[in-house]
Amino acid sequence: MSETFSYLLMAWSDPNLMLLTALGTFAGIYIGAIPGLSVTMAVSILVSFTFAWDVNDALALIVGIFIGGVYGGSRSAILLNIPGAPSSVATAFDGYPLAQQGEAGRAIGLSTVMSVIGGLIGTLVLASAAPVIGDLALRFAPRDYFLVAAIGLLLVGSLSEGSLAKGIFAAALGAVIGLVGMDPVTAQGRFTMGQTELMGGIHYVVLMIGLFGVAEALYQLHNLDSPVVRQKVDKILPSVAMVLKFLPLSIRTSLIGVIVGVLPGVGGDIAALMAYDHAKRTVKNPTQPFGKGAYEGLVAPETANSAAVGGAYVPMLTLGMPGDAVTAVIIGALVVHGLNPGPMLMVENPHIFWFTVGNLALANIFLLVFGLMGIKLFAKIVELPKAILIPLILVLCVVGTYSVNSSMTEVFWMLGFGVLGYVLKIFGFQMGPIILGAILGPLMDTSYRQAMSSVGDNPVELFGELLSSPLSLILTSAMLLILLSNTPLLGWLKGRLRPASSN
Amino acid sequence: MLKTLFASAALSLSALTLALPAHAEYPERSIQAVIPWGPGGATDNVMRSLTPYVEKELGGKFILNNRPGGTAVIGSSYVMQQRANGYTVLLGAENPQLYKVLKLADFDYSDFYPVNIIGQNVVVIAANADAPFNNMAELLAASKANPDTLRMGSTGAGGLPSTISAMINAVDELKVREVTFGGDGPGITALMGKHIDFMPLSLAAARELVRSGKLKALAVFATEETPELPGVEPITKSLPAIAEYLPWGPFWGAFVHKDTPDDIKQKLVDAYAKAVANPEFQGFLKNFGAQSLNLQGAEAEEFLKRWQSVTTWSMYKAKAIEIAPDSVGIAKP
Repeated sequence: MSETFSYLLMAWSDPNLMLLTALGTFAGIYIGAIPGLSVTMAVSILVSFTFAWDVNDALALIVGIFIGGVYGGSRSAILLNIPGAPSSVATAFDGYPLAQQGEAGRAIGLSTVMSVIGGLIGTLVLASAAPVIGDLALRFAPRDYFLVAAIGLLLVGSLSEGSLAKGIFAAALGAVIGLVGMDPVTAQGRFTMGQTELMGGIHYVVLMIGLFGVAEALYQLHNLDSPVVRQKVDKILPSVAMVLKFLPLSIRTSLIGVIVGVLPGVGGDIAALMAYDHAKRTVKNPTQPFGKGAYEGLVAPETANSAAVGGAYVPMLTLGMPGDAVTAVIIGALVVHGLNPGPMLMVENPHIFWFTVGNLALANIFLLVFGLMGIKLFAKIVELPKAILIPLILVLCVVGTYSVNSSMTEVFWMLGFGVLGYVLKIFGFQMGPIILGAILGPLMDTSYRQAMSSVGDNPVELFGELLSSPLSLILTSAMLLILLSNTPLLGWLKGRLRPASSN
Repeated sequence: MLKTLFASAALSLSALTLALPAHAEYPERSIQAVIPWGPGGATDNVMRSLTPYVEKELGGKFILNNRPGGTAVIGSSYVMQQRANGYTVLLGAENPQLYKVLKLADFDYSDFYPVNIIGQNVVVIAANADAPFNNMAELLAASKANPDTLRMGSTGAGGLPSTISAMINAVDELKVREVTFGGDGPGITALMGKHIDFMPLSLAAARELVRSGKLKALAVFATEETPELPGVEPITKSLPAIAEYLPWGPFWGAFVHKDTPDDIKQKLVDAYAKAVANPEFQGFLKNFGAQSLNLQGAEAEEFLKRWQSVTTWSMYKAKAIEIAPDSVGIAKP
């Protein structure tokens, strides 16, 4: 017990580790804020860099970058309407309208505090229930992943402002883009037109940078003459009363974040979108309407994507299986450092688990400090003249895209998507559903085919399993419920039932 | 540790300023090393561990660059397109040897120069610890009793599981449902959750799970027991006929463009040979569950040829591929 405690406090008591965690968190915020510079990339560079280091030092730096990077994406989402990472796509929905109202400082302050709350809840769940939820993740059969993807695609209902038809079109477009590349089963090219460069598919980050970064930059050329919004930079910190008011919501969305984060192959990006959807459904009186600058629309995705970090660590530490792309690289780092990630890690090297837990908590504290620092300066970015801001955004987009896979082809794709996104924007299409489709389309494709081949391509058997397995039954009913509440069918049913009951 | 950080930053800075060559001797600038697989994977791990030793032997700096996608087609063809000056190295795995028969690309490793065949992985057939079969013979019996009902985890055409199942089918009959996953990781997760029944895996991926009792190894894909998994029978015990394909395992190697000048080839060959033989790297390979090979020159070419011939012809025999290997210039074993 006392040993556990000492492992837990290791990062808190060693100035060297503390400094590395702080350094990582600080760097992570800025890496995360730049679209395309991803946490995955930063961590994989660090793995070679920290080769000769002590493993604790390397892990401390990595944890910092992870926590900082996931949060950092919200910065550019709020200030520029350009999410720095896919997990902050939902943050832009209400964050950017707030910046447009001169509340950028307040939005960043709130998202910082909420990220920390989400991160701490995620860490707490990791510390207290890791083996239990690790086992829960194992219960998800391919058909359950299919259901999760289907539920995710239904979010299109709350992501499409205005026209649902346009939202569905956008999501379908995203799904088709997501399917480009080598067929995962037969290894044949799909929509590649014989191009080797397309065999690897189109990375959704490339799509995201084009649709959000370039398209937004082009779109802003429309209002070059509009007066700059003066930012109010007093009262950046949310009041205690405000935090308390959002606490119930943030606990619910954090739990969504942890659970989604635990599932391999589904991460903070989907968690944040699901949390946003949850907030939209459950909060009756938001501070402003959703999509127009509701604080709740900021709280939900920010708590969820930070909590998903703790979730992603669960299968990594308990089973040696990655919960997402970043933990996959961390597993690689452990291997390079001569440790054997797997179920025995917790038995043979218990310090890695408790050290990580303590370190995650510490990184969240640093996040609070660094996140709240320099907000005034950051809020001024919105006040920058467009003639400086727009070229700067375009340069960052190109650099960011090239850094994903060092491919010029992807840079051209990104620019193409930028123009496409600009045109779609003019015609009133939303960018969110396209990303949703690009992330979930491939997941749905592979999981459906896995589920079908597991039952020998017999749809009747698959249908039976959807109803007979408890987990699948829960997911199926959740899906039907969301589907019903999204369509006029429910209202129609209610209308039919009411006169019947009054008789 | 911060000291090291600053020191190495300072070092690389001074390296930049001192990069002006006194006499143009290879390497006079940093070498780009392309890893055609994503960060955190087995190939990535091996290469990131090996590279520091190569840098020491060669006296140059490597920039490791992950260019994943399309079963390593993208990264490999990128290296082929670069100039043959020894400044672009491909750090890859076995996959290109199957490109021609899978119609993925029209090249293979015979279009490169093998600097070093670093090592190979041992393959195990793994099942959930609660599975009703305990060895290969019982697995084969179960599949014959109920053909096409057992679920085998796969990673797609040309992946390790489908290659192994083709080899087994070339000498016996193993009729199963192939459930395809995006890689070892998701497949193993499904295996632990009992959503699939068995999966051929590399020892590196399976060892920790077998050791902890979450999975059990039915057989090692070799003619003898492996010291890392004592008590697990070699596959030849239940399937003696498969011996003709053994030894077999997925491998890793370093390659350069075929037309690279000979003196540069030689420098790389020497540096890699010493680096792979380094006791620290050997320790890493052992801990990773892999076998060291350290082959160069004619030996490496011979290894590549035999691997390609054995694999493709067994796949052809099991009807896993339609193209006859000799039609794309692969001789019978």
